[in-house]
Amino acid sequence: MRAVISTRQVRSEFVARVQDLSGQDLLGCYQCGKCSAGCPMTEEMDIIPSQVIRLSQLGQEEDVLNCKTIWLCATCYQCGTRCPKGIDFSKIAEALRYLGMGKEKEVCGPNHIPTEIIAEAPQQALVSTFRKQGL
Amino acid sequence: MPQKKIGVFVCHCGINIASVVQIEELVKRLQESSGVYYATDYKYMCSEPGQASIRDAIKEKELDGIVVACCSPSLHELTFRRTSSSVDLNPYLCEIANIREHCSWVHSDSTLATEKAQEIIETIVEKVRLDEALDPIKVPVNKRAMVIGGGISGIQSALDIADSGYPVILVEREAAIGGHMAELSDTFLTLEKSSELLSAKQREVSVHSNIQLLTYSEVEDLDGYVGNFKATIKKKAKMVDWDKCDGCGKCIAVCPVKVPFDQEHPLGKENAIYLPLLEAGPKRVVIDKGICQHFSGECSECQTACPKSAIHFDEQDETLEEEIGAVVVATGYSMYPKDRIGEYGVDGCEDVIDGLQFERMLAAWERGEGPLRRPSDGKTPRDVVFVQCSGSRDPEHAMPYCSRICCMYTVKEAMVYRKAVPDGQAYVFYIDIRTGGKGCEEFTQGGIADNRLIYMRGKVSKLYREGDKVVVWGVDTLMGKKVEIAADLVVLATATVPSPGAKELAQRLKVSADDYGFFQEVHPKLRPVESPTAGIFLSGAARAPMDIPESIMHASGAASKVLALFSQDDISHEPIVAFVDEDYCSGCGVCVETCPYGARELQGRKRVAKVIEVLCQGCGACIAACPNGACQQRNFQAEQCLYMLDAAL
Amino acid sequence: MKVSYYPGCTLKDKTTNLDDSTKAAAEALDIDMVELPEWTCCGATHPLTEEKIINLVPQIRILSNVRTEGNDSVTTTCAFCYNTLKRANKAVIDDPIKRQRMNAFLKDDKRIPEYDKETVYDFKEYNGETKVVHFLEILRDTIGFETLSNRVTKKLEGLKVAPYYGCQLLRPPEEVDLDDPENPSILEDFLRSLGCEVVNFPFKSECCGSYLSLSAPDAATRASHTILRSALKNGAEAVTLSCPLCYYNMDKRQDNILKLYADFSTVPVFFFTQLLALALGVDESVMGWNKHHIDPTPLLKEKGFLS
Repeated sequence: MRAVISTRQVRSEFVARVQDLSGQDLLGCYQCGKCSAGCPMTEEMDIIPSQVIRLSQLGQEEDVLNCKTIWLCATCYQCGTRCPKGIDFSKIAEALRYLGMGKEKEVCGPNHIPTEIIAEAPQQALVSTFRKQGL
Repeated sequence: MPQKKIGVFVCHCGINIASVVQIEELVKRLQESSGVYYATDYKYMCSEPGQASIRDAIKEKELDGIVVACCSPSLHELTFRRTSSSVDLNPYLCEIANIREHCSWVHSDSTLATEKAQEIIETIVEKVRLDEALDPIKVPVNKRAMVIGGGISGIQSALDIADSGYPVILVEREAAIGGHMAELSDTFLTLEKSSELLSAKQREVSVHSNIQLLTYSEVEDLDGYVGNFKATIKKKAKMVDWDKCDGCGKCIAVCPVKVPFDQEHPLGKENAIYLPLLEAGPKRVVIDKGICQHFSGECSECQTACPKSAIHFDEQDETLEEEIGAVVVATGYSMYPKDRIGEYGVDGCEDVIDGLQFERMLAAWERGEGPLRRPSDGKTPRDVVFVQCSGSRDPEHAMPYCSRICCMYTVKEAMVYRKAVPDGQAYVFYIDIRTGGKGCEEFTQGGIADNRLIYMRGKVSKLYREGDKVVVWGVDTLMGKKVEIAADLVVLATATVPSPGAKELAQRLKVSADDYGFFQEVHPKLRPVESPTAGIFLSGAARAPMDIPESIMHASGAASKVLALFSQDDISHEPIVAFVDEDYCSGCGVCVETCPYGARELQGRKRVAKVIEVLCQGCGACIAACPNGACQQRNFQAEQCLYMLDAAL
Repeated sequence: MKVSYYPGCTLKDKTTNLDDSTKAAAEALDIDMVELPEWTCCGATHPLTEEKIINLVPQIRILSNVRTEGNDSVTTTCAFCYNTLKRANKAVIDDPIKRQRMNAFLKDDKRIPEYDKETVYDFKEYNGETKVVHFLEILRDTIGFETLSNRVTKKLEGLKVAPYYGCQLLRPPEEVDLDDPENPSILEDFLRSLGCEVVNFPFKSECCGSYLSLSAPDAATRASHTILRSALKNGAEAVTLSCPLCYYNMDKRQDNILKLYADFSTVPVFFFTQLLALALGVDESVMGWNKHHIDPTPLLKEKGFLS
């Protein structure tokens, strides 16, 4: 549990990519944690959404791309709706998923879902899942 | 008119100007310039030797006007005008040519910058050529002050002014003075009873021979100018003859109007007829016309119940006109309405209250009115959750600023709560603990340790009712987990906002308020207790959220500004004002409508427009608006400006 | 009023009862609602990264086609479609670069001749002209809940219903702008106009787990259980909603909930349009009661709304 912080991390290409992709100003977040407090999926997450933002602010690419949290965001927009600083965590999570998929991290593609579920699940769930979590 | 002898003094400002502008070349060109009689330079004109060289030149060369080419006039115009008048050159014949901010600081090409400096100076030389010698306008000062707002800030300002021997009118819109301080329980840092601290001050006010107390009154209008204001004050009808009333309370017992607990009101107001909290004064009731059912229906219960026949529903509001020389605005603060925070207001739950309501609950416990009870069912709350920054530091939905007082009062409330409910547990959600005042950090850390207060770093996202509990969804960012607490009572430290009506009052006083309604100071660092309108000063939380000690400091600061004003018999007013050439004025009145200061009026049988010089701020709006060119500004006359333009182009 | 209708994929397959009841209710209310002759998937979920703007093309094509049909607004009942269409439209209105790029894509659109031989496809620049309205908005803003209340032939009196919004109908509020995101009232007012008793509960806008239902089914089961338990605890006999995915999580998932939470008792879930059609006395064949996992008919019979 040790992080070395230098300009190499905090001004890395990774930080710039996350900001560009998400359109969110990472340092605009003052870490109040309201996004985490209202998130309906924290129970299943390994770190809380505000920690994902913190790790991203500090350029901790490895940690943040390997967390479960970004794949457990259901994009319900509760975080962004209540954020006092107008930062939308769901967009940051999406940017990180996008970067993760670029590294061939697939959480749920067609092969992951049992046929009987595919048969009964609503189309919108399938399309959304593959868009957010597949390759 | 004979040619004026104009001297130009070029300052190097160390290297600030001299490193870009070629001073030697500039002075040479100026010496050859047609309007310039004398030109010289010096390293620092504002230094004593620099000023001496100006004085000497004025005397030796018999100069009729001077231009100092240096920094911005906001820095040293006054300095050099004083230099001029010390050798009997009218100060309004001294002008500044800004060749630092407008030239050397913003340019790097030395040749071009030198040319520009020359043009700037020659433009100002043209101005001085046609400048008139002017004398400041003198106005007598009415040494009587009006303080608006009878909270702790207003009380302190009024006492300071009155103690110095000047009469003060203290105007309070509620029926008693004391403001929010009268509602508080123990105060930080000493945990002394707020009402006891306050009552000494209230008593001083009520017996002070220099203070005229106008309670249940509001300022309707303010006219005039520094030293000579005229205030219109509405004295609201109390509907009760205070000579007869003995505060027996029989009327209150029969009043059918109940004021809900969570409404903002001074302590004691539970019905339409109520006993205002007046620790230091006789107990007398008043009626709030706005909610009384006599006026909306036919109720006269209190009148029937009163054994002294003291209630008179036909009593009318009264309007007073008062002349004063200075105004102190001390209208205080209010709380951001908690029902505007949707995620905290699920189903209008009664057990979610704000900090001020909790103060009232704690104060009632301190007065011995029984154990602490929560609003919904009267149960003693065993688990209390405090939520800081409710509506503060939230630029997206509420107030972007830090409300400054909440960190301190929250820890204090949690400490008093633990005294009231020794086996209770208090939890505090915070983003940052901001306890910068003297003794505040020690008080906070001691309070947390001694009272087993659980502080959790994170903001609450949602509150909802489940059974008889209020479930709090928060987070502890230090632990990295979402937190759920089933609480009996939730106290929101809602944002501190201006007192209701502050913006409207600012309009009536013709001073500015910021976007939120806090009164605006002239300069946030250097002139924090002065409004931009001369003679109107700011005291306490009317300007920004602040705690009691800070409010008192601020209040004394505002009072000292009033006293500085009252130390003069008359005051000077800048003579750079508008004037009218009556031959050209058609009396159309456009200038009267345009003037933002009420300094223009149509006068006399000819109905020509006049300038009330003491009110005129020299903004020039009327001059631009006048269709006939009849309005002109002293030392900025049309002809003068045209010559200046010629020189500049 | 004249409006185009965009049903969306799920309504043509898994939840035809939502499609059928919507159309039947619109007819009963004399709404001139015509399904778009050709439409594609809306993309299901709004693209959240600045680079994925190609994912806005289907929505904009749909909205542009509404105009080709001569209408100025389009309605939908699926909360996901509503969200994606409305947000894509706003993106095109607010962001000139996105607008330009969308138009550059759509300019080259060709209609496939085997589907449409006659129409000469003449693309007109699309600048966000089409208005996206949820079917609930038509009821609230065009018809009015008071009028609706008068047109109801069978008051659903005594039916205690918990209104469930979920996420896509309300958030992000500055883009979706249907109702107050914290204390919405449109479904409540709707239910009251049908005569139902509204059951207030604190989880009406909490997420049901959404599409995580496929990748993290237990999370969706837990989330749905929290919502349903709260509705039941507050006295609900039924839940109503407008999203086919919420419906899947709330209705179908009750099996999984029962496995994990033994004390749970099942509760029927309605699309709001089913309750509407029922109250308007529309022929029962459109309701598709047999498509429900938790059979709602015993409750409706008990209340006397079905014979």
